[in-house]
Amino acid sequence: MIVTRWAKLILSLTAILVASQASGQNYQGRELVKASLIADTSAVVPGKPFIAGLLLRMAPGWHTYWKFSGDAGLPTEIKWTVPPGWKVGDIQWPIPLKTIDPGDIQTYGYQDEVLLLQEITPPAKVDTSPVKLSAQADWLVCEKICIPGGANLALELLTSTSSEPKNTDLLARYRRLLPQKFPDSKTVAADWSRNGSDLLVKVTSATVANYPSVDFFPIPQGSTVVGHPTVQSRNADGVTFRVPVEASDKNLSSMPGLIVFAQHENGNDRAAWELPTTQVASSIKSPAPARGLATFLLFGFIGGFILNLMPCVLPVISLKIFGFIQQAGQSRQKIFRSGLAFTAGIFAWFVGLALLLIALKAAGRDVTWGGFQFTNAYFVLGLSVIVLVFALNLFGVFEISLPQSLTRGLLASSERNDNLGSFFQGVFATVLATPCTAPFLGTALGFAFTQSPIVILAMFFAVAAGMSAPYFLLSAQPAWLRFLPQPGPWMVHVKQFMGFLLLATLLFLIYVLGAQRGLDGAIWATCFLLIIAVACWMKGAFIVPTASAAKRAVVVVLMLVLLLGSGFYFIGDKFQSATIDIAQSASGGDWQRFTPERLQSERDQGHAVFVDFTAAWCLTCKFNEKAVLENSEVRDSFQRHGIVKLKADWTNGDPAITKLLQQFGRPGVPLYVLYPGKSAEPIVFPELLTKSILLDKLETITVASR
Amino acid sequence: MKTKLLLTAITTLAAGALYAADVPPVGSAAPDFSAPDTNGKTQSLSEYKGKYVVLEWFNPECPFVKKHYGGGNMQKLQQEYTGKGVVWLTVDSNAPGSEGNITAEQAQKIMKSWNTHQTALLLDPESKVAKLYGAKNTPNMVVINPEGKIVYEGAIDSKASPNPADIPSSTNYVKAALDESLGGKAVSNAQTKPYGCHITYKSS
Repeated sequence: MIVTRWAKLILSLTAILVASQASGQNYQGRELVKASLIADTSAVVPGKPFIAGLLLRMAPGWHTYWKFSGDAGLPTEIKWTVPPGWKVGDIQWPIPLKTIDPGDIQTYGYQDEVLLLQEITPPAKVDTSPVKLSAQADWLVCEKICIPGGANLALELLTSTSSEPKNTDLLARYRRLLPQKFPDSKTVAADWSRNGSDLLVKVTSATVANYPSVDFFPIPQGSTVVGHPTVQSRNADGVTFRVPVEASDKNLSSMPGLIVFAQHENGNDRAAWELPTTQVASSIKSPAPARGLATFLLFGFIGGFILNLMPCVLPVISLKIFGFIQQAGQSRQKIFRSGLAFTAGIFAWFVGLALLLIALKAAGRDVTWGGFQFTNAYFVLGLSVIVLVFALNLFGVFEISLPQSLTRGLLASSERNDNLGSFFQGVFATVLATPCTAPFLGTALGFAFTQSPIVILAMFFAVAAGMSAPYFLLSAQPAWLRFLPQPGPWMVHVKQFMGFLLLATLLFLIYVLGAQRGLDGAIWATCFLLIIAVACWMKGAFIVPTASAAKRAVVVVLMLVLLLGSGFYFIGDKFQSATIDIAQSASGGDWQRFTPERLQSERDQGHAVFVDFTAAWCLTCKFNEKAVLENSEVRDSFQRHGIVKLKADWTNGDPAITKLLQQFGRPGVPLYVLYPGKSAEPIVFPELLTKSILLDKLETITVASR
Repeated sequence: MKTKLLLTAITTLAAGALYAADVPPVGSAAPDFSAPDTNGKTQSLSEYKGKYVVLEWFNPECPFVKKHYGGGNMQKLQQEYTGKGVVWLTVDSNAPGSEGNITAEQAQKIMKSWNTHQTALLLDPESKVAKLYGAKNTPNMVVINPEGKIVYEGAIDSKASPNPADIPSSTNYVKAALDESLGGKAVSNAQTKPYGCHITYKSS
């Protein structure tokens, strides 16, 4: 016991000794900056991320700079050299001090001391001990004059199976100074607007408004040149900042930055929120500005129309056509009303979705089409239940009926029920359509998401109109119905056959659940579905008009017990705890898992990179992968040109991937991007990938990068 | 409440006053100025009307200025464009007592030993010219066309670093602006973020 304790002490002492290699910058006999690397851990534990920091201690009066240095100066740079398989995260910059020098020169930086933190992730297996990590740090230190400085620093850590925290006080001091994420709350909001060459951001927050000192520290991107932000107005509800923009892309609508608040300017109690932006941060040109609103509304309409042909919608749509056949003999007015109800169902869902998205967008959330619903396992589970119940109904296991029409089946139901049924069929068809981001729809919705609420609403209206157009026309012109066959007993068989189509859809949904929650999750979900099926059978078999009231009550209680019990057990417990590690479910073959860092490092090394943005629930993605990406000719071409293939799996809605999708103006997958070389602009491929387009581009890239 | 209002009013006024000294936008008329050169002769912008004029803010102590003079990059630009009839005015706006502030004699010595080729080096110890153009860095570059309009302002080139090794791989914005203007074309990169040492203004 005592021996191990001594051993531990000696080990940690050695760790301190080897780790604290500091390097100084001298100028005219004075030490201006002392630089060293520190870590938050006594030892490296394989696979366990830790924090490393660059500690800069400046001579009194001298300062180094923040990531946006302001009117003068340069940000400090850190380049790590780590063994293969190690990952280094972005620099976490403490909230800087704002300095105003004569001539209104405003700079953002640090005085006396600063600690720049970075997360380092060792691979699951580390063979050497101690591990040597080194970093080249370059900075500009200024007082009245500026002196560039730099140092090559090393951090040596022992490898161990356990570790103890280190430098806790120092780290705690700087962690307190890190900006926070913008609060996800109803009472806090940030709204950007543009007024001439100024950007205005209105921050609604009573918390911020309470602080005597509030400021906006801008982080301009790309070629944007920013002036000095000022407080335009403030009241008890919040603060509006004016951010003059001296040069930028014309479409700049917001700017990343920090909302800084404190009791005194540059006070040590200063805190900050990272401001959400709607800006497309990269230099990638989205096609939106090139085309007008009308074109995009037309795309929305065409996309909506094409949704009808998507495999996930077809069963429900067939049902509707079936309904038309049934109605062929009925009065024109009746048919028209039914068609109208179906159309209304489609519109209701789309408009509801649009309003929800507008609300979420206003709250500053990431919104995406499809993924917004399909990355949520419970949404998929709910959909599975609906599809199963519907299928059982088609098989005739039970009838969905309202009390007053108990004896009548679905097909012979009263007109009111029929209209209600049509309405819900419309809603249902649309719910199933969401995973099928049709080729036009992707672009159109991507455009809409960057626009004002009215444009979003208009876009969803266009999609709904496109999807419902054929039914609306058919019901308005029933004469065209004579091209459809006559009703008859064959319809019962068709109805049952449609049930199988729905079961096929269910198979797909279970496959998605499996991709999200693993085999266990999928099995528990199907257990729950089995109980649902039993409950449906009980209803069909025992809750019939001939059964006594007492018997019916017993059956209802039994059904509820079964449903609630299995719900709690299979879903609340088993399904809930079933998870899958995406990292483990590696992409297979010669595809590598995508991370933003991975993409950056490959590009820094000058490699061409192809990224496949995909998800288990995306059928278009699967089709493209099978037909194009895994085609032997395409594989050869990738290999011949030495292109790194990364797979970005969005099945569970990875936020890093969401962010990148938004940068490309896409609300969902699929997305295919080829990054040609180090500096060239990325090439975006159409959602319906073809072999020839891909091969053509692959050829031109190689020529260009030579 | 009243104090808050008062504070807001003062802040707004102060902000307004500060903005008066901000960068004049690209496309606006270049503010006229006059300042003595190293021979004691007064130079004004108005006397160069009808010619392209380059303003270059200078501080011989600044590592970013040294980056461009050390390898002859700035001298080469000065020689090339003064040879094409462009007027090149180097301005030192650093206040007395701060690093980079130089007397006429010191300036002449530097110009000789660095073998510079500007039309004139102006001494602006009161930081008046810098204030007119909102110049905050050395180097900070402005290009003015024969009509007296600003066609470029900002950095000398695209790589904000003090390292001379970055020069060959950078885009020189001043060269591009002059070449495009002389060729009768609009300047494609008319405003960039200048980088370098801050100019030490005379505290008022």
